[in-house]
Amino acid sequence: MRMNSPVSLGALAALVSLIPAITAASDITQDRDKRGLVMDVPFMVEQAGAAGIDHVYDGPWEFFVGGGGAGLDCNGDRKTDLFIAGGKNPAQLYVNKSATGGELSFEKRETGLDPALLENVTGAYPVDIDNDGHKDIVLLRVGRNAILKGGPDCTFTNASRQFSFDGGREWTTAFAATFEKDRTYPTLAFGNYVDRSAPGSPWGTCHDNFLFRPQVDDKSGNLSASGTGGEPDYSQQMTLSPGYCTLSMLFTDWKRSGEPDLRMTNDRQYYRGGEEQLWRMDPQRPPRLYRAAEGWRHVTIWGMGIAEADLNADGYPEYALTSMGDTKLQTLDEEAEEGRPVYRDIAFERGATAQRPYVGDAIRPSTGWHSEFADFNNDGKLDLFIAKGNVEKMPDFADFDPDNMLLGTHDGKFVEAGDLSGIALHTKGRGAVIADFNNDGMLDLLVVNRGGKASLFRNTGAMAQGGKTMQMGNWLEIELAQKGANRDAVGARISVKSGNETRVRTIQVGGGHASGHIGFVHVGLGVAERAQIRVQWPDGEWSAPFRVFANQFVRIDRGAESARYWLPE
Amino acid sequence: MKRAGYVTLAVACMISAAPPALAGEEGAAKPWEERAVSPLPADAMPSGRLTPGQLTALAKHGELLFAAPFTRLDGAGRPMATQAIIPTKRKREAREAFQRMAGMDANSCASCHNSPAAGGAGDFTVNVFVSEGFGNADFDSTDPQFSNERNTNHLFGAGLVELLAREMTADLQSIRRLAADQARKSGKPATLPLVTKGVSFGSITVEPDGMADLSELDGVDTDLVIRPFSQKGVMTSLRQFSVNALNQHHGIQPVERFGTRWTGESDFDEDGKEDELAPADISALVAWQATLHAPTVMKPENAEWRAAAASGSQVFDTIGCNSCHIRALPLKSLDFSDPGPFDAAGTLRENENGEPAIYDLSSFSWAQSLERNEKGEVMIPLFGDLKRHRIADQKIATLGNELLSQRFVDRDVFMTSELWGIGSTEPYGHRGDLTTLDEVIRAHGGEGSDAARAYEKLAEEERSALIAFLKTLVIEP
Repeated sequence: MRMNSPVSLGALAALVSLIPAITAASDITQDRDKRGLVMDVPFMVEQAGAAGIDHVYDGPWEFFVGGGGAGLDCNGDRKTDLFIAGGKNPAQLYVNKSATGGELSFEKRETGLDPALLENVTGAYPVDIDNDGHKDIVLLRVGRNAILKGGPDCTFTNASRQFSFDGGREWTTAFAATFEKDRTYPTLAFGNYVDRSAPGSPWGTCHDNFLFRPQVDDKSGNLSASGTGGEPDYSQQMTLSPGYCTLSMLFTDWKRSGEPDLRMTNDRQYYRGGEEQLWRMDPQRPPRLYRAAEGWRHVTIWGMGIAEADLNADGYPEYALTSMGDTKLQTLDEEAEEGRPVYRDIAFERGATAQRPYVGDAIRPSTGWHSEFADFNNDGKLDLFIAKGNVEKMPDFADFDPDNMLLGTHDGKFVEAGDLSGIALHTKGRGAVIADFNNDGMLDLLVVNRGGKASLFRNTGAMAQGGKTMQMGNWLEIELAQKGANRDAVGARISVKSGNETRVRTIQVGGGHASGHIGFVHVGLGVAERAQIRVQWPDGEWSAPFRVFANQFVRIDRGAESARYWLPE
Repeated sequence: MKRAGYVTLAVACMISAAPPALAGEEGAAKPWEERAVSPLPADAMPSGRLTPGQLTALAKHGELLFAAPFTRLDGAGRPMATQAIIPTKRKREAREAFQRMAGMDANSCASCHNSPAAGGAGDFTVNVFVSEGFGNADFDSTDPQFSNERNTNHLFGAGLVELLAREMTADLQSIRRLAADQARKSGKPATLPLVTKGVSFGSITVEPDGMADLSELDGVDTDLVIRPFSQKGVMTSLRQFSVNALNQHHGIQPVERFGTRWTGESDFDEDGKEDELAPADISALVAWQATLHAPTVMKPENAEWRAAAASGSQVFDTIGCNSCHIRALPLKSLDFSDPGPFDAAGTLRENENGEPAIYDLSSFSWAQSLERNEKGEVMIPLFGDLKRHRIADQKIATLGNELLSQRFVDRDVFMTSELWGIGSTEPYGHRGDLTTLDEVIRAHGGEGSDAARAYEKLAEEERSALIAFLKTLVIEP
């Protein structure tokens, strides 16, 4: 049976007239097409108030910077809870009560901590320092920093003294942690801003930064076989000098050696003769700076935040560095010899400079803060979020400075969709937490704003015709676990392969702007229905491949034969 | 030669008061144009419950697409795309547009699915070669290290098969949810058997924190989605199957997976034709396949055959064929929604392009003739369990003697073949290399071994009776 004659269009018209058709394309769709936004645009609905988050980061000059938050699961329900810095206002813990796939909902929880400790907080990062399975929080403060030891049901105690940690008296604005080779506890790095007590402050008076390596092994004996118990000893502080007013830092394995170095982005506003920094971390030696002779290039920016992603899955990560004006997107130069940190800026060619507001006619430059790569639309391409906001009332910089939602394109570029996605608010963004707060497979967003209420955006799916939303691409959320030290596998690299496409994520503590998240690692899969996951554990050992189906929460225990799926409530 | 275009026109006129459009009118296709089909307009996506007339008209367009010998003007050809189910570029243009192994390998769907009628199976001539299409996408060898060779399945009753799979998936996922709820409530691990429609898919254990142990699953993917289509059981829906096959076999790239939304390109395969097949056309294809009548059990006119078949039917149960080839599975609803509920991104999903269309299969006389059980459920006589089984072992490896696993399914594991229609769809076996039913029964190893060995021990007369019975499971043209 062959049917060679094309069917009549007239007949088809008659047929079509009988079938209810969807509504015509909307103006929004036409606008998207003009801008080349052919991919899904996530529709982010701001609902902080309704969700129970009523929080303002504020205060005088010391709190022009900072304004971060920590995303962590503090009660074992695998929902991302929030701890948000408040500056002069008290920092606040919010426990996540969101129903799966539902509206976001948080509940304020009193921590019982000394109220004074919760004031003057600039930022917070989660990390399980003592390997007890409870996430701890490192508090960055104007004044004494602190380690909050997590306990059951979102309880926290100030464990600074217990861990022999001297929080100092500096103005701390950056943090990063890594588990160095053969150490039971993490190495902690603190980035400090201006030394206000120095002569001539604030100009040219950036404070040194500090590194705390846990003393071998721990104060109370070895780690138990189960990996619990024991206490770190952070009594020895190492100075990283010179400091150039560091606003973000990140341990990063930029050269695929298995031993991460410490990347810092610094604020040229206050340093003299400074630059961006990369500290070489030899576990047996004090850190030392990479020098120009080794290929490190002199770059001076108003560095505010670091985001890392291996955009082309070649093992050598790219870095988005926020600043005033142009954002930098750095990639290791192909010409660089092995072990030489020669970076070049590809922000312009990739459409990621985001140098001024994309809404309105103002041409004054933007001020960028938190930056983070994430796949908001689950199309398999990493997007770049940048929190934006005037420092305070700097007339040379944009006043209305909306946050960026730069969606990744199929040709490796980025295109702005902040206005269409609904995040272009008149706020002064600082830190942010990107996580799937309602466990529906789509990344939501908390933005901590200076001098205004924090914004909480629920990702409701792709914008569709008729003002509706629809499902986006496939996804995975992956949780790693290993026994003993470093239970959350900080430093592990997750490789997710579907077809010829490999998507890479690294578990890190640090970067962004005074904000961090630990928990499920989200990976958008686009149209892939299946994926193969391999994990390179922090000690370099590769796992066997795990075969998983899309749209699942996956748990991988080191040494397990197969992955398990987690079922949300 | 049937002028299908006018058939569709007639159907449309029959169910509408609209005046017929005539060839030669503005916008109408010329009869001699070298394209096989005029696609439905982009905004013609069906939604809501279709009347029988609307469904018939839509299915007619689907039939036209199924039989259409696609041409370059329709978008046939994928010079810069592989056969992969995830849009994948070739490194260089394929040397030959058509190629019987890596594809594209067919002009029309019906060129393979044609026995005993369009939508049917195919003989060895129209075997296809299953390859992931990521590495070695241009293989030009039947060497099993590159691909698995597959015989063409028939699609009669496929709508019912998909409906069964959907209900079973819903059941399994509901059990999974129940286990999670029980574990969370009790604070203890909960283990529940995964049984739906009398078919066991093992068990699932959920820890109090919601972590699921999947190690005891049996015959189903870890997401508990029953994928009823293909011999391997790796395709969820007719829609997914159609999208996959259009690209692989014809180089026709459906917009819902290969369009700008997912690839950034309107002509991903770089054949010069943009947006090759819209969702509405895929819906039409699905509508036609889903409404193909179910195979039946024929009552032979020949009295001797009738008697042998009756005896063979008993043998079928006695030796345990029915443990996997279950005679009938109960179906609650004959409403076929498209898009369906369990597809993933890349195949159009519910509410992704308006409301799903509902095709009421109960409006068809062939569906009305199906038996119902005491609960009023429709008994679907598919002779299958929609479950995967290990069908080969070290002694008998004929049905699983492959080198490559396929989409996470082991090389010797296959979906139970539904036997309805087997009397009309020789040859047999996954590769179509077994010419008689006797051979394919004996070829069962693994979980089918006991029944096959029992068959071998039967008296010749009983074996013959079983064959007589299987020969009554036919597709009425």
